[in-house]
Amino acid sequence: MILSRVLLVPFVTVMLVFGTLVYYFAANLRHQAQEKLVNIATGHRDLIEQFLRERSFDLQYVFASNSIREITDDVRLGEIFERLQTRSRAFLDIGVFDENGNHVAYIGPYDLRGKNYARTEWFQQVQKKSPYISDVFLGYRNIPHFVIAVRRDEAGHPWYLRATIDTLFFNNLVENIRMGKTGEAYLLNKAGVFQTPRRSGGNLMEIDPDHNSYKADDNAITSFTAQNGTGERYLYATGRLSPTEWLLVARQEIGDAYAPLTHAVLIAVGLIVAGGAIVVFTAFIMASRVANQLTVADMEKQEMGSQLIMAGKLAEVGEMSAGVAHEINNPLQVMKSEEALMKDILDEMEGDGNPRVTENIRLLRDSVDQVGVQIDRCKRITQGLLKFARKSQTKIQTVDPHLLIAEVVDMVEHRAQLENIQITQEFEPDLPVFRSDPLQLQQVFLNLFNNAIDAVRQKGGGEIRVTISRAGDALRVSVADTGCGIASEHMEKIFLPFFTTKPVGQGTGLGLSTCYGIVDRLGGQITVTSELGVGTIFTVRLPLAGPPEEAKSRPVTHEQGGRTT
Amino acid sequence: MSTINLLIVDDEERFLSTAKKLLEKRDVSVITCTNGFDALRIIEERRVDVIVLDIKMPGMDGVEVLRKVKQNHPDIEVILLTGHASVESAVEGLKLGAADYLMKPSTISDILVKVEEAFEKKRAREERQRKSKVDKIISHPMAVFDDEEE
Repeated sequence: MILSRVLLVPFVTVMLVFGTLVYYFAANLRHQAQEKLVNIATGHRDLIEQFLRERSFDLQYVFASNSIREITDDVRLGEIFERLQTRSRAFLDIGVFDENGNHVAYIGPYDLRGKNYARTEWFQQVQKKSPYISDVFLGYRNIPHFVIAVRRDEAGHPWYLRATIDTLFFNNLVENIRMGKTGEAYLLNKAGVFQTPRRSGGNLMEIDPDHNSYKADDNAITSFTAQNGTGERYLYATGRLSPTEWLLVARQEIGDAYAPLTHAVLIAVGLIVAGGAIVVFTAFIMASRVANQLTVADMEKQEMGSQLIMAGKLAEVGEMSAGVAHEINNPLQVMKSEEALMKDILDEMEGDGNPRVTENIRLLRDSVDQVGVQIDRCKRITQGLLKFARKSQTKIQTVDPHLLIAEVVDMVEHRAQLENIQITQEFEPDLPVFRSDPLQLQQVFLNLFNNAIDAVRQKGGGEIRVTISRAGDALRVSVADTGCGIASEHMEKIFLPFFTTKPVGQGTGLGLSTCYGIVDRLGGQITVTSELGVGTIFTVRLPLAGPPEEAKSRPVTHEQGGRTT
Repeated sequence: MSTINLLIVDDEERFLSTAKKLLEKRDVSVITCTNGFDALRIIEERRVDVIVLDIKMPGMDGVEVLRKVKQNHPDIEVILLTGHASVESAVEGLKLGAADYLMKPSTISDILVKVEEAFEKKRAREERQRKSKVDKIISHPMAVFDDEEE
């Protein structure tokens, strides 16, 4: 979720920027490709036009500078033809015609003299327009060719001079164009018939099936793209040759024409993909890092919240416990003195000789003793409560952690051995001494060990491992057992006074609450982690400098019931 | 050993009467009262060596009573009796000059031990004072006329 959100904005932005860039870049390149084709076509058209004009002019010049008599003379015509051929090798033959279309003189490879041309297309056209350039046709020689014809009037009669242009020469001229691999140029007449062959298919005098799709402007070269019958797309540049009605077509396959464009776009797309991949990758890493941090922060917050709630709850219960303990201590005091009074009275009653009375006094004394025992039991409970409520005094001294734990282990070791429990001590080397209340800490660890032994005993044996290590300016003591563990629903209640899982009468439920109260008062923290059936770890953190008020100054402290001097 | 004049101040009347019975059997002269005002009045009227003073009482609390006792009669020893919830008050009391404190519930013998200790302390102090006074008179006989103490 967060990933896609983090990715979306940069991704869309990058895509927009790149898309716009590529679009304009591509448009520009396409435009350039068209421009290039148009330029080539324009140059080519000019070349062909110039060729046709020059050849027409050659004929006109020759015709004008010689009389009909001269020009109908074969020798003279031969000389003239030779001279023309020195000007351009494009001339294949030359012939003179009278007004009726009779071929009166001819120089060239074919035997055409004497034939009548009155009905031919070119002869009819040249009477109206001179010079006239014909379309390609077969004629008497039955070979595709075209002619340039000019007319001249002498003594009231029109005469006609006609020259055939070497098809091969002209084709070469038209076809000689270099554009990429597929670039080609060819001529079509008005009806779409090939006037020069097309390299990619299309013979002379055949009809170009695509000629209807060609756009033509009379003056300028037009550029467009179109699809041919077989589905290939071409970039075209077309223009009319002004001396004829022929259409010059220069064309190139789209793929070929736009090859630089395709390259550029491919590179751009490659960049986008690579860039996008980098963006996605970076974003992914960053997003997952952020997500991790959020998760960790969330968990910490949750843990802190639950600890705060726990601490608040315990403080509240502590206040209440202190009140309850105090209120119970007052009546206990009364009962205690009543007990003493009863014993006094019983003492006085002894010495009466009556055995029944003596027996009754004994029973009564026993009963009063039991009342005393029960008052003491109540006293222990209220004292436990008061310890939890932080109302008892602490006596801060310098404590050696080794000694502290070793003493407690000594106390419980015998019991542990009986229950088949191994106690392991792991002390970090060079542990510092610290300021705390050793007697109260002894009580804390005694409680923790006793709980651990009870937990392991239920599994019929195991291990208790106590480790001490330094954690910054605090000491960390953990008591880990391989016992039965604590059910998760009990976890948040274990430090509450009177919470116990033991059968009624076997535990007051004050052990851990007392531990909590003591550790809290000594400026430390006690935490627990547990897995049902695997074991439990209680960890006690104690500041090396002692409780906060102790760390600041060292007030005079008094042991319970101590004396001032 | 002379009789100890003990004043017990507590709002539990039954405790007062029982304690009085028990202690009088142990040769302690016991006066009781249930509040601070009475206590202050009694020490003006009668000779009192030691006071056992409950800290938590309605009206004037034990610490306040202690302060006033120590103001006017610094020679009276005071033992504080606390319901434990107010151990801070007990410590405060010790600073104000209380001889000791006891946690409720305490046995009569505990109370008696503390009372005797306090009385012993008082007597030793009075003895010292008397002795130094005697020494003073011996070395400066005329000083007996300047003395305004006791």
